[in-house]
Amino acid sequence: MTAADRPFTTEALSQLTTDPGPWLSCDDCFRLADRYVEVLLSGTPDPADELAAMPTHLAGCSACAEEAATLLLLAGGDGVDPAGALRRLTGG
Amino acid sequence: MTEVSRDRTAARPAGSPEPGEDWIAELTSDGPRRDDALRRLHALLLRGARFQVSRMSGLRAMVGAAQVEDIITLAADEAMVAVLGKLATFEGRSRFTTWAYKFAVLQAAVELRRQAWSHREVPLDAVPQLAERQPSPDQYAEGAELAHAVRDALDRVLTPHQRRIALALIVDEVPIDVLAERLGTNRNALYKTLHDARVRLRAHLALQGYLTPSPGETR
Repeated sequence: MTAADRPFTTEALSQLTTDPGPWLSCDDCFRLADRYVEVLLSGTPDPADELAAMPTHLAGCSACAEEAATLLLLAGGDGVDPAGALRRLTGG
Repeated sequence: MTEVSRDRTAARPAGSPEPGEDWIAELTSDGPRRDDALRRLHALLLRGARFQVSRMSGLRAMVGAAQVEDIITLAADEAMVAVLGKLATFEGRSRFTTWAYKFAVLQAAVELRRQAWSHREVPLDAVPQLAERQPSPDQYAEGAELAHAVRDALDRVLTPHQRRIALALIVDEVPIDVLAERLGTNRNALYKTLHDARVRLRAHLALQGYLTPSPGETR
């Protein structure tokens, strides 16, 4: 199937026009991911604001987002409800 | 109970160091102490790779069960090499286990995407036109006019390369690693192309009055 015969879905529309935010490479996203998920799980903001570009990057890069969500669940472990942290992963 | 917790057969939760455990010291020591740490690290990476693959049910169904096990093992092995090679770069800004897990998660995700798409064509030669479909009533309500404006902007403001990459990643849903491999490039370069395409699309749509720039967003 090609783009020519695929429907132009609402999701595709949203993804094409999402605010990409400040530039953050996938390599830098990977470098920061472990700290980011732990900050989300702790519920405390990052004091250095180094992670400010992570939500928009993850909202715009489905591969990085998929991997970060897994990492968050692994880091959260038992006894932690990850729902709130998962919502905040992409700035939600 | 989450899939993570089901995956844990040992009494000690994954990611939780034993009392007094110091991964860096143990992995850089000698003898049985290091051997034990290596064994536990590999088990942790296997767990991370398996969990990542378990969450990718759509792609997992496209490869055989035996191949899935190979992907998990390969990912854990490659992550082991990566973790040991980068031990000196671990800054302690997260738990060691979280830092180590991310290598297994990345390797497993990339390898499963690659394997699942290994026999699928990625149409890149043509610059396809988006289908002009009659919007459903819902689409009318949610912005058929915006959809038309975006189609128009894709043709008018993006370079052919930006358009091709944006359509492949977002409309055709080609995984970014797969597309990078087919094009002989990398995830960073493709995401930069997509990032720049979005900036152009949003600037054009803002000028046309279809969206409001976010705070700090330049037109």
